[in-house]
Amino acid sequence: MPDTSSRILVPVGESSTFRNTVAYAVREARRIAAETGEESTVHFVYPVRWQLVDESERSAADAVADALERARVWANDDLDYDDDGDLDAEDVSVSIETAVVGEDRYLFSPNDFAEVLLEYAHDRGLDRIVLDPEYQPGGSAPMLQPLEFELARSGLLVEEAPVDRVVERGRLPSRANVSKALAMFGVSFGFYLLLAGVFDTFNLVTGAVSAGVVTAVFARISFVNTPSATGTVARIARFLLYVPYLLWEIVKANFSVAYIILHPDLPIDPEMQRYRAAIWGDLSVTTLANSITLTPGTLTVDMDRDSLIIHSLTGSARDGLAGGALERAVRFVFYGRSAARIPTPAERGTIASWTDDDQTDGDE
Amino acid sequence: MLGQLSTFETVLLGAAGAFITFAVVLLYRVVRGPTMEDRVIAINAIGTNTVVVLALVAAAFGLSGFLDVALVYALLNFLASIAISKFIVERGGVL
Amino acid sequence: MTPLEYLVVGLVLAGVFFSFVAVVGIIRLPDLYTRAHATSKSDTLGTVLSLGGIALLFGAEVSAVKTVLLLLFMLITNPTAAHAIARAAHDQGIEPWTASDEEGD
Repeated sequence: MPDTSSRILVPVGESSTFRNTVAYAVREARRIAAETGEESTVHFVYPVRWQLVDESERSAADAVADALERARVWANDDLDYDDDGDLDAEDVSVSIETAVVGEDRYLFSPNDFAEVLLEYAHDRGLDRIVLDPEYQPGGSAPMLQPLEFELARSGLLVEEAPVDRVVERGRLPSRANVSKALAMFGVSFGFYLLLAGVFDTFNLVTGAVSAGVVTAVFARISFVNTPSATGTVARIARFLLYVPYLLWEIVKANFSVAYIILHPDLPIDPEMQRYRAAIWGDLSVTTLANSITLTPGTLTVDMDRDSLIIHSLTGSARDGLAGGALERAVRFVFYGRSAARIPTPAERGTIASWTDDDQTDGDE
Repeated sequence: MLGQLSTFETVLLGAAGAFITFAVVLLYRVVRGPTMEDRVIAINAIGTNTVVVLALVAAAFGLSGFLDVALVYALLNFLASIAISKFIVERGGVL
Repeated sequence: MTPLEYLVVGLVLAGVFFSFVAVVGIIRLPDLYTRAHATSKSDTLGTVLSLGGIALLFGAEVSAVKTVLLLLFMLITNPTAAHAIARAAHDQGIEPWTASDEEGD
């Protein structure tokens, strides 16, 4: 394998060194094209972590399109601008492509990200990956290293762009902002006062100081998306409608489980199932997974790519899950009334028995 | 303190005793296993029971300080389960 | 005992019952996935009922708010922990027990 290649893939995400990474990738492509005379190509690929079908994710979709557009504009700028005298613009041919990947998956772990990126690279015949050293595909979770590791396992050429890192990350407008800080401060201050139990001057002052420290340190980490007041209030209101329903389901679940466990014959018939839920986003998937775990005879075991692996205790529990009532309820909480009307998992055919074949698929 | 317990307080303490008994019974699963996950499940359940015991004692004796202990215990119990689950998987990233 | 105390005792005893079911489940059920069902459902409800009873007892004090917080925390973390453990087992490749295994035992 050659130690350089002219077919470059650059994963794109908002970061402080995004601009410089673009410049580096284009410079490399150009250098190699000039040396070898071949056409080189740079693909800017944005792996998205949600599915862009939802009204509330519109602005996020715009952000993705905007980032890719910027990459293209910058790359074209770099190509036009001849910074080294020895490179002749007519001799080099560099093509720039942009793409969004992962819309049809639930991207979760570094593994998932690596998988969609490698798939893309494979399809387009790209064999070199330039990583932005500040690239954070998981939003706030640090996953560049594991991602790099997963990518390197494929045998492709993987490198971090040698760019200067910006030391002060806090200046970035996309990272910390006022509503994140306010939400963080409010929650931690409230929790402090609750534990203190007494609202005297001492507690108010120490609480404000502690909450301030917590806010300064964690505001960028705790919220991936900027919390919006109206959206949150609407969600909380719908969530309050969901709670009694969930509680009722939990009580039913417990009586059936209690019956099964205390029955002398232990009438269980467990089975694993793969279930593609029509739900996206960390919080809503977590809510669905936890609700599934709490309700009749079903337990969320794993989130494997885009689907949930569910272990069910009895046959009737499986039928209940296929009916999709819970999924509809969670969609109602997070996406509103209009999103609640969708076919059940059974009608969509997105629920299937989990077998060993699937497992070898998933491990590959 | 134990001398003048009302019926109500006795019931609460009796419930706490039941939860302690459950915790002891769960030790069987911790010892027996057979897999590490079985032990973690049992330990998690023991921790949950401990939290309830702390809360019941807080209620019976009116010691609200026990509730803070219970809160911290619940946090630690959850963290312990997550940490061990993460630890026994080579891949990491359990959650 | 006052009516409130009867209600509290009722809730706590219901909690004891469901926790008992959870313990029996953890001891009796054949594999760890089914045992995780027992902790995630019965144990959670047992805990929530007991803590709910205690919260009622505290009435309007700060302690009640703390208890409710504890209750909510248990409600969220217990299934999550069960899920994390089941996922760890799944990643390790531990096969779930099925009804057809019963003849082998």
